[in-house]
Amino acid sequence: MSLIKDRNRREKIIKTLLLVPTIGIGLLVIVIAASLYLRSEQILSLYPLTDLLFSSNWRPLAGEFGFLPFIMGTIWVTCLSMLISIPISILTAIYLSEYAHQRIRKSIQPFVDLLAGIPSVVFGLFAVLLIVPLIRDYLGPFFGAATSGFSILAGGLILSIMIFPILISISFEVLQMVPTETREAALALGATRWEAIKHVVLRMAYPGLIAAIVLGFSRAFGETMAVLMVVGNVPIIPQSLFDPGYPIPALIANNYGEMMSIPVYDSALMFAALLLLFVVVFFVVISKVMLLRFRRGRA
Amino acid sequence: MKSKFVYVNLVTVIFILTILFAGCVNSNEPASAGGTSKIYVSGAFALYPLMIEWSEQYKILHPEIGFEISAGGAGKGMTDALSGMVDLGMVSREIYPEEEAKGAVYVAVAKDAVVGTMNANNPYLSEIQEKGLTADTLKGIYIDQTITNWDQLAGSSNGDPINSYTRSDACGAAAMWAKFFGFNQEDLHGIGVYADPGLAEAVKSDTFGIGYNNINYAYDAGTGEPIEGLAIIPLDLNGNGEIDPEEDFYSTRAEIMAAIGDGRYPSPPARELNLVTRGDFKGPTRDFVLWILGDGQNYVEATGYVSLSEDRIQSQIDKMN
Repeated sequence: MSLIKDRNRREKIIKTLLLVPTIGIGLLVIVIAASLYLRSEQILSLYPLTDLLFSSNWRPLAGEFGFLPFIMGTIWVTCLSMLISIPISILTAIYLSEYAHQRIRKSIQPFVDLLAGIPSVVFGLFAVLLIVPLIRDYLGPFFGAATSGFSILAGGLILSIMIFPILISISFEVLQMVPTETREAALALGATRWEAIKHVVLRMAYPGLIAAIVLGFSRAFGETMAVLMVVGNVPIIPQSLFDPGYPIPALIANNYGEMMSIPVYDSALMFAALLLLFVVVFFVVISKVMLLRFRRGRA
Repeated sequence: MKSKFVYVNLVTVIFILTILFAGCVNSNEPASAGGTSKIYVSGAFALYPLMIEWSEQYKILHPEIGFEISAGGAGKGMTDALSGMVDLGMVSREIYPEEEAKGAVYVAVAKDAVVGTMNANNPYLSEIQEKGLTADTLKGIYIDQTITNWDQLAGSSNGDPINSYTRSDACGAAAMWAKFFGFNQEDLHGIGVYADPGLAEAVKSDTFGIGYNNINYAYDAGTGEPIEGLAIIPLDLNGNGEIDPEEDFYSTRAEIMAAIGDGRYPSPPARELNLVTRGDFKGPTRDFVLWILGDGQNYVEATGYVSLSEDRIQSQIDKMN
């Protein structure tokens, strides 16, 4: 009797113990958002929100804080990097999961993992030494654009390289979770391998792949150092891939040093951080909605 | 035995939560205040090589003192010092009144300068080196954007564009360069590149690029000549359209050092380098700064900087007392 009681009590304690950190993590997002909001209140009280979001004049010393160039810079670089990395990563994951021989899979995977472990600043140096000259001397002239190489394109390219490992390994895991029997059933019905992948495996893996893409997006939004080193950091709204841009994380990292010397600058940077948080939350919510729709559509 | 397991877990969770929330508490005391003798320094790239030299010499005399030094631009040094993250901030520009109002206390410890740079393989290099650039011309390139073409400088007609580069991070070099023609860092137009070495690299790899660097990143410490691939832009200070013999002091680091020392190279872009702390210089940090203003001055010229005059040094020591 007491043994069972003891068991139940322990079970309860463990449940609580597991609950506490879970709630803590959830709260963390709220705490971060709230503290950023409190610190950016000053600039929000001085300028109307529409001015901050839709003006493109950025001259803090003159009291002009227009965040539009930074918002656009963030969106350009992130979307470009996802456009490049999503197809490549998913095709790679499909090959590794569905076609590749065990030996090939085993020898490629360490490289993918290694790519994930390289520090951001190393990617940045690689981009400065290789990607920037490549764009300036070859890609730019090929498309008839005069460019210094420090551009949205350089930022997007290096960012996509940094997202590859996370996208490939998660997509691979997701594809592996599709039961072998479903593939065999499709093949038994006379489908080719590709037909089985297209109609069975990908359909079942779809929600997981979306989750992988969202994780990739979230990382891409916040990535700072490598992008900052090659994106040009000019506060203008980019008109083409060969124009320089200025994403929000770079703004915060570059101007951390002016926080103390220019009035309301610290508040402006906190607002920038809050904006970034909102953009990420926005994308996560959109993807959740897409997932829900997909599930409902199938049901 | 089993309940012990639960307790261990409980302790672990509390420990983790403590760590998590400790981060939220704003610790305003510099790390060395707790009685450990480690001096934390961050800030200007311009002062970084000299600070390394000083710390190494100081460690020989005082082995009990440890140093942690990082470079990240003058702005970072100022922000770190004012927020108490470091004991000393290296700031390679003058201190703004807003910063003094927030408790910034500083002393000048050495001098150096910012110089204009261009690519060594630029086809117009010899013309530029003969004529030099005036502050007005630089303003046309960096501020008004009325000068966008090398033809406008060299009198040719090839249509080669001027690609202007600037620093992306808040720094003394950009502040002084902009101040030379009467503006601020945020007014400088050009591709923003992170850090001193990054800017040198960008100009080195762009034939039509133009930029600026602290002298210790523009000249090679070994040979004393401009670093490979980079050429220094001479300044036409009297505005007569050519570089006169008394304006010609850019071929080696020693020459420009001498010109900064006797004032032939103007200020700005030459400037004093400052060490900043919040409130007051205290404890081991104070001893270290006093040593810098005393015996430490012996290493200034050898490391490639210009010494302050003796009067100036004395006034800095008086300022600390």
